Amino acid sequence: MSEIFSVFVLGFCFCFYVSVNTWHAYRIIQINERLQKPMTFKITWKDGLVITPWERPIGPTHGPSDPSSPSGSPVKDALDLAQDVPHSPLDQFAIKSFLDMRVGYLYISFTNPAFFMLLTLGLVFLLFHLVTKKGGGKSVPNAWQSLVELIYDFVPNLVNEQIGGLSGNVKQKFFPCISVTFTFSLFCNLQGMIPYSFTVTSHFLITLGLSFSIFIGITLVGFQRNGLHFLSFSLPAGVPLPLAPFLVLLELIPHSFRALSSGIRLFANMMAGHSSVKILSGSAWTMLCMNDLFYFIGDLGPLCLVLALTGLELGVAISQAHVSTISICIYLNDATNLHQTFFFVIFL
Amino acid sequence: MTRMEKFEMLEGAKSMGAGAATIASAGAAVGIGNVFSSLIHSVARNPSLAKQLFGYAILGFALTEAIALFALMMVFLILFVF
Repeated sequence: MSEIFSVFVLGFCFCFYVSVNTWHAYRIIQINERLQKPMTFKITWKDGLVITPWERPIGPTHGPSDPSSPSGSPVKDALDLAQDVPHSPLDQFAIKSFLDMRVGYLYISFTNPAFFMLLTLGLVFLLFHLVTKKGGGKSVPNAWQSLVELIYDFVPNLVNEQIGGLSGNVKQKFFPCISVTFTFSLFCNLQGMIPYSFTVTSHFLITLGLSFSIFIGITLVGFQRNGLHFLSFSLPAGVPLPLAPFLVLLELIPHSFRALSSGIRLFANMMAGHSSVKILSGSAWTMLCMNDLFYFIGDLGPLCLVLALTGLELGVAISQAHVSTISICIYLNDATNLHQTFFFVIFL
Repeated sequence: MTRMEKFEMLEGAKSMGAGAATIASAGAAVGIGNVFSSLIHSVARNPSLAKQLFGYAILGFALTEAIALFALMMVFLILFVF
């Protein structure tokens, strides 16, 4: 059953990938045709500013007009058509929609992140299915089975260790949600390491959505488990009464910051890492293309730095998934066992 | 002041802001050094717990590194979005 689903998802992703690349190729042909016309060396912007091409400012200030209505100048048209030529290191995070779908005010278009999330899902299902078919793997595991067991075993250990003070049955109720969150963020992070791929978790909308939803879920679990006594979470034991209101207010701020911090931590790590690699590799490529022996030899520096940074990125991808999962378990522990710490691990 | 001059001043100001915002990684550097120094101290006291303590150290490193990356994110925000 899951093999059908994963093959379907992967086939769907493949068809979309092929069609998008065909569309990009068509755009490049359009640009080439436009560039065949004789070029004038002045670019006229919409507000009347006239500059030469080598004065064209680089960055998001290049505001394209509507590409379907060509103006008189072929260079401007070519630049308008070539809107997807990267100008800044942050252009790799651009969200392009493949299929525009609208329902009133709601945009449900099939975009870049949606495609890559489906791809992640398909890959995870495929991996888990291929390892566990024919009766759940062998007793002496091969490498793939060890990897899947490692990913799977990581979460129950975490759940058992962090959420102390409850019976095993109750604790394991949280296991599926935390396991899916961990596997999703791990595979999304790792998928961004593939060259020319798109990192889903490098958008704060996605990671903040995930962390906000989980935070709201944890609050609901706290209220369900402890009733209104959950509000005593804000007040540690043995606090004199006049100090109480200030302490409650003060405690609410770090408590609500947790939702933000989990999401922003994952987002900032992924975005900063990918931007750094892009900037460094851009400079390494430029050094490689300058016709100078010294630059060619000196290019070893940036190239080694890009190699080291990519290795660090791989470590950060795995460790940030680990850290976000551990922090979710800690918040769950705080919500269900209001400040009764059974272990010495105390985090914000 | 022509539009081009204004644009160049803006780009210069952005670069200055980005450079100033990078100073925040000094705090993160001190924090990460602190984490690993505690790791060394604690492993010297109790070498049998080295593996578990290393796990905690990596967790602490990742959390502290996140603050450095908050600063880096502000740098990219100033440089490429405004």
